[in-house]
This record gives sequence, C-alpha cells and structure tokens, in this order.
Amino acid sequence: MSIIVRDLVKRYGDKTIIDGISFEIAQGELVSLLGPSGCGKTTTLRCIAGLETPEAGFIAIDDMVVFDSQAGIAVEPYHRDIGMVFQSYAIWPHLTVFENVAFPLRIRRRPNTEVETRVTKALAMVGLSAFRDRSSQQLSGGQQQRVAVARAIVHAPAVLLFDEPLSNLDAKLRDQTRAEIRKLQRELNVATVYVTHDQAEALSLSDRILVMRDGVIRQQGTPEAVYGTPLDAFVADVVGPANFLPVTVVGAASGGVEATLAGGEHVLAAFGPTTPGPANAMIRPDRLVLGAVPGANQLHGRIRQRLYLGGHFEYLVAVGSASLRVLSSAMAAEGDSVTLSFTAADCIILATDTQETSSWA
Amino acid sequence: MTGVVRAHGRGTVKLIFAATFLVTAFLILTPLASLLYGSFRSAGPGEPSVFTWRNWTDLGSAAIANTLVTTCFISAVTAVLSTAGGAALAWLIYRTDFRFKRSTVAAVGLSFFFPGFILAMAWVILGSPGGIFNDVLEELFGIEGFKFDVYSISGIIWIQILHIIPFAFFTLRGPLIAMDSSLEEAAYASGASPWQVVRRVTVPLMLFPMLSSLLLCFVLSVEQFAIPAMVGIPGHVNTLATELYLLTNFSPPNTGLAAAVGLSMSAVTGLTIFAQRRVVAKRGAPTVSGKGYRVRPLALGKWRWAAQAVALFYILMSFIIPTLALIYTSAIKFFVANPMEASYTWRNYLQIWNSPGTMRAFWNTIVVAGGGALLGLILGTLIAYSTHRLKPRGHRALDVLACLPFGIPGIVIGLGFLWSYVYLPIYGTLWVLVFCYMARFLPYATETIGAQIVQFDKVLEEAAWASGANRVASFRRIVLPLLRPALQSGYFLLFIAYFREIAAAALIYTASTQVLSISIWAFFENANWGVASALSIVTTIITVALMAAVARASLRV
Ligand SMILES: Nc1ncnc2c1ncn2[C@@H]1O[C@H](COP(=O)(O)OP(=O)(O)O)[C@@H](O)[C@H]1O
Ligand SMILES: [Mg+2]
Repeated sequence: MSIIVRDLVKRYGDKTIIDGISFEIAQGELVSLLGPSGCGKTTTLRCIAGLETPEAGFIAIDDMVVFDSQAGIAVEPYHRDIGMVFQSYAIWPHLTVFENVAFPLRIRRRPNTEVETRVTKALAMVGLSAFRDRSSQQLSGGQQQRVAVARAIVHAPAVLLFDEPLSNLDAKLRDQTRAEIRKLQRELNVATVYVTHDQAEALSLSDRILVMRDGVIRQQGTPEAVYGTPLDAFVADVVGPANFLPVTVVGAASGGVEATLAGGEHVLAAFGPTTPGPANAMIRPDRLVLGAVPGANQLHGRIRQRLYLGGHFEYLVAVGSASLRVLSSAMAAEGDSVTLSFTAADCIILATDTQETSSWA
Repeated sequence: MTGVVRAHGRGTVKLIFAATFLVTAFLILTPLASLLYGSFRSAGPGEPSVFTWRNWTDLGSAAIANTLVTTCFISAVTAVLSTAGGAALAWLIYRTDFRFKRSTVAAVGLSFFFPGFILAMAWVILGSPGGIFNDVLEELFGIEGFKFDVYSISGIIWIQILHIIPFAFFTLRGPLIAMDSSLEEAAYASGASPWQVVRRVTVPLMLFPMLSSLLLCFVLSVEQFAIPAMVGIPGHVNTLATELYLLTNFSPPNTGLAAAVGLSMSAVTGLTIFAQRRVVAKRGAPTVSGKGYRVRPLALGKWRWAAQAVALFYILMSFIIPTLALIYTSAIKFFVANPMEASYTWRNYLQIWNSPGTMRAFWNTIVVAGGGALLGLILGTLIAYSTHRLKPRGHRALDVLACLPFGIPGIVIGLGFLWSYVYLPIYGTLWVLVFCYMARFLPYATETIGAQIVQFDKVLEEAAWASGANRVASFRRIVLPLLRPALQSGYFLLFIAYFREIAAAALIYTASTQVLSISIWAFFENANWGVASALSIVTTIITVALMAAVARASLRV
C-alpha cells in the first residue's frame, strides 16, 4: 500500500476535527475525499503531508511509518516522499516558473543536468514549456495551477496530494484541467489523494471516493457504488443532486421494497431496508420523467417553477407537501398539473435517521 | 499536545528560539533591572552604597513634581497640535485638490529624517535672544522691543511640533489611504456635500487612528531629550528627560534619584503606549479595501492658496530655513545678520577633518550604526519570525519583551545601562552603545519585519516543506527572499536611528566612544556654533544620501 491511514484523530482545542478515520490507497490509485466544506478534508490531507500533527493514529507513506502516536513517531513534512498541490497554489513570487518547479530537485541537491531535464519534462507535461523563464507573478490562475502541479510531480514522489486544485479556476478551464490531471496521474501511476467538495470532480476522476462528514468517513467505494447505492441521504446528497420523498415502508415486495406516500400512492424501490416504518425515497432529478410511463412508479404534482438551462429545463414540482427537482427536455408550463414517472431501479429507500441533510425545497 | 516527538529538525529551531529569547531578555531586562536596583541605592553606580527609600520619597519634592507638570503640559500641547497638523496635512494631500502633493510628501519625509538635535540647534541659531531672527528684526528692520526667545516652554513646544508633525502625518496617512473609499462614495451618493462627508464620515472613521497618533505623539514628546536639553536647559525649563540628565551629569550627581525619575517616566510612557495598543486593537486597524484611493478630490476653491501657504510655511520652518541657517553659520567667520556683509570660510569644515576626536566620532558612529543596525536587524527578524510564525512556547513573553522599549524613553535606557556598569564588563566600549541602541530600537525592527511576515501566506513555506526543504532551508530560500524589502527598509530605519541617536548616548559615552551626535552637541555647548553647524550639515548630507541610495535600491527590487 502506498498510503495507510489508521484511526486518525485531530483536534483543535476541544473540537474534534478528524474522528478516527482509516483508509488505504494502493499504488496508482486515485482516491477522492469528498464532503461539504468544513468536514475535515483539508485537515486529513495536511496530516498525511505532515503539516499538522494529529492527536492519535498511524500514517505510513510508501511503507515508511511517518506518524505513529503510540510509537512517538512524527516525521517532518520535508522527510516525507510527497508532492502536494495547495488550494491557493502557493507559487513563490520571487522565483521564476523554472525555479519554482526546480525547487524540490534543488533541495535534494540533484545535479544541474538532471534538474534541467526533469523540469523540462514536468513543464512539458503540464503544457508550460513556453513559460519556463517567466516570472511567476506574470501567470494566470490556470498557469499557476499548472506550475503547482509540475512542482508536485517533478521529483517523482511516492504519493501526490491535491487540495481542491480546481476550485480557483473558472468552469471551462476546470473541466479541461480535470481531464488532464486524470491523464497525468495515470501516466505517473502514483497513489493520489484528491480533496474536493465538487461531486462531478470526484465522480469523474476517482478510482474510489471517500465521502466524509464531520470528520468521519460515511461511505467509501467506486464512484458508481456511492452514486448508485448511497448508504444514507447525506451521501446521496453529496455525490449528486437528489430528491427525497417521505414515505412509509410497507415491506419487501417482488423486485424490491414497497412503500406508500402520504397521499396513499404506492411506490416500488429497487433497494433499501424492508423494516416497515417511515423512510425516504431518493430519486435523482434526471431520473424523473415528465409524463406517464406504463409500469413505472407514478406521482402527481403541479409545476411550481421552470428554469431554462440550455437544451433542457429544471422543473420544481410540488408533490403533496414535498417538492421535487426534475431535469427534463420535455416542455411544460408553470402551473401545469403533471405526472412524474420513475422506475423502481431509479429509486432507493433510505432510513430517515440521517435525514437532517438538505433536501430540495 | 500529545507526547509525540518530532523526529527531525525541531532541535535547531528550539535552539535558535532559546538564543533569541535570552539575548532579547538580556537587552531589555538589563537596563530595567539595573534601574530598579539603582533606584534603591544611596550612591551612584560603582560607589559604596546602601539600601534606601530616599530616591522614591524624593520624587514627591516640589522640584520633581513641577518638572512632571511641565513635561505633561508640553507633551499634551505638542501631541494635540502635532496630530492636528499631521491630520490636516494628510487630509489635504489625500482628499483634496491641493497642488504639489508629491513634493510636499517628499519634503515632509525630509523633515521626518531631520534629526531633532540638529533642528533644535538650528532653532537656537535662529530664534535665541542673540539669534538670526532677532538680529534681522533689529538690524534690518530696526524693530526693538519685540524679541524671539526659543529658550522657553513655547520654544520647546514649537520645535517639538515641527519635529513630530511628520510622524503624525505618516501614521495617519496609512489609515486614510487604506480607508475603503466606497464608504465616502456612499455618502456622496446619499447626497452629502463634501464638507458633510468630511464631518460625518471621514473624521469619525479616522477617530481611532487619530487617537492612536495622539497617544504616540505624547510619548514621543515625553521621551524627547535633545530639544528640551538644547533650548530648555538654557531657559531653565526642565522636563523629566533633562532633569534626569542633569541629576546624572552635574555635581553633586544623584544617579539614584535619576533612576527613580527614569522609572516613573517609563511608567508614564509605558501606560500611554499600553492605552495606544488597546485603541489599535479595538478599532485602530483601518478597513482595508485594497482598492486604493479613488474618491473625487475635494475642490478647496479660494482656500487652496491658504492651504498651500500653510504647508509651505511648515516646510520652510521645519527643514529649509533651519538647513540654510546651519549652512550659513558653518560658512562664516563671525556672525552678521546680513549675508552680504559676511566673510566666508572653509575653516569649520577643515577643523572637522583635522580634529582626531571628531574623526574618531565619525568612525565610531559608522561602526555602531553600520554593524549595530545589522545585529539589531538580525535579532528583530528572529523575534518577528518567532512571534508571528513559529509561535513556540514562550513566544508571547518574547513579544511582550520586544514591545517594552516602545514605552521606555531613550535616556532611561541609557541610564539603565549606566547603572548596569556595576556588573557588566562592557562599559567604555562601543558595545554598550550597540546594546543600548539595539534595545531602544528593537520595536522598529520587529514591527517592520513582522508587518511583512503577516503579509505573505504561511502556505508558501508549507509548500517548501512539502517539496522537501527543512525549516532552515525554507527560511533561507523562501522566507528571507520574500522579506527582502522589509529587511532593507528595516536596516535603513535602524541605521538612521542609530546614526542620529543622542538621548541614549548622552549618559553612556566616554571619550573613546564618542559619536557624531555627541560631538555636535559638545561643539555647540562650547559655543562653537560654526563647527557644530558644519558637522550637522555633513551628518545631514550623509543621512539624506543614504536615504536616497536605499530608496533607489528598494525601488529596483
Ligand atoms: N487551525 C485551525 N484551528 C481551529 N480550527 C480549524 C483550524 N483549521 C481548520 N479548522 C476547523 O476544522 C474543520 C475542518 O477544516 P478543513 O479540514 O479545512 O475542512 P475542509 O477542507 O473539509 O473544508 C473546520 O470546521 C475548520 O473550522
Ligand atoms: Mg479545505
């Protein structure tokens, strides 16, 4: 394993920020830490880098124990074999692009010829060859981000750490850079921790996603798994847009779980706990169809609001006391009475005890 | 913290911090502890003495109480008028259509660096009963009956105001420039007239910075030694600072009472500085928008010429006329009011060159200012880095220690080191001056460097660690280069301060450790105005040339 984190605990004062999390990352694997702002992602990453000292736990990087509270080991960041991209990029203003990228090699006292070739290669990988002699103060946000990436990879570290590297870029550049980071990481085949609060980034980049909440890992798995079968409403909400419909579970039925709405309609869901009682049905907005589909679950409601998103619409549909978000290219007007359909496979029953997370309203 | 040990690197950092702490404690606590000790002794340093309360009970004597009242009166008036003057000047330059803004700021900058003792000397030449102004009145205009007399309370206040206005100006213009201009624009947009904006928005927003400036000016005035020494002592007007000097230097010396006076004086200035810090902590920091100043300048109309005239008058009085008076005095054989009738000579300048004592003072000053300022800068950098970044256990105590000299007048620190002579083998060497100056001006260094350290994000250092640089390497390769502008201006500030300091040196110099400021004063006291003026001119030229050189160097960065 390239990264092992076990029972990590970090406190600030009497506030516990990281509450005993554990995970492992294999060589070449890209793992995202996904969660809302303030849940402890950056803190976790900084503990791995050695920029924070945890209260308890164990961390190993590339088979070297870098932190072990019981053995009293805490290796300084500069003795850990890491490359890190900071959220603000942290480009040194007094050094040129070349010298910024060369820094990890200079510190390691590599010969000049090696510095030259490796920096040239790193700059080429991030597409900045033409900028090597620029002052780092003459760079756009996107270029700074690339310099930061080049600096992180130039010394071929055992692990790469990214802290929301795309959050300071505009939307278009973000999509492009996302793809480049994925390609780069594949080429380097290096264990990577990628911190983000953006579900699209996490889903598209990761081999595995760790969904965090309040300093604990709520669920981990492949992007498909956490998106398709979230364990609770929080995870469902974090990994993608979600509608939550309060229901009462009746029990197991052929093809899934049967539940009823407050208005008495029956709903069939593919997954979920079968214990009778109150629960939530979760349906993704793009899985709700405007209009009646035979054989599917059907709901009746009224369109409260319509937003044009270019190519398709986002509707806000009142169903009983709930209100559902629907993404559809079908035309309907505000105030129309509509039928919403969804298949059992697109519906999951989630226990209510985690329901305090936001729902669309 | 848990019992976790950092595996590498912390040892060096701890060692450096411990050394920094010890040196700082030594520099700051030595004079204070010595003074405390001295204030309870029946005789001066080095003499056989016993414990006594007498020095403290003598503080209540009519003479000392009188001096205290005089000092507070002079300082209060000086503080109010200097702050008002500085604020008015800042407002004119940054908020109105006042002309020649750049040259005015440059001229105020020159006044700022014009040493107080040279200014005082020039004003004695100009405004003493036998001075140029009175001669001009009598000889050229035939006016009798009215005489200028700077040897008076109003003389002290006048020169101090001239000297302190630039300080008030430079402390107030920062907040004024940084003030979010949209606050004033919003008032205009709400229909307020320019004068209403000034009254209802600008002044209220500047209230805390102005209060802070007022308190600082009060402290500067209480601390001021050269001006009351040169014009107050001849006029038999004593302030605490000159009283302390007289008690120490004239027979029969009463160094113990001087120590008690010095500590009381530090209590006054220290408490004022404490109050000032509370003001700043509360509301003093300006609402920085980073947008810079863009409010439409207020049209002064017919008042503009009056404003220009007052500003010009200030520049003439604070710098130009004093300098001209010194140049004139340095170049004439004997004094006549009419320059047309004077006979000119180089002999005063030649006398500087030919006097081994003066050349020695030159050399001493260069060594103390050049080398001492470097030591002071290194210490200040280590302190600022410790208190702003490393923050190890004990960093708060270090911060408090390093701030203390803000509240201790220079002459008091000098007296403290005089008392420490009992147990320190540095008396009579240049080290005592260097230590004394390092202690006195430590806050200059820590504030300048500290301000720059908080400017750059800690993540720049973390990125270096994550790239494999240890603390020492990241300090050298990242922190120091980023601090370069602050290091340059810090060194410059310290150099100038060490170069022209007189108060701290007045009590501790010896024949072999004489410095320029003391030489000038000595010539002056011996009524050798010509040589004193010549030496002042040379000193001023060196200061201004250095200032220009450093300004040029830091522009190139
Ligand atoms: N130096 C600090 N002192 C106190 N609290 C902190 C500090 N750094 C972070 N926190 C708190 O720790 C929590 C987690 O922070 P962080 O790891 O930065 O969250 P994320 O990166 O997931 O947005 C937040 O509530 C934050 O306020
Ligand atoms: Mg974060």
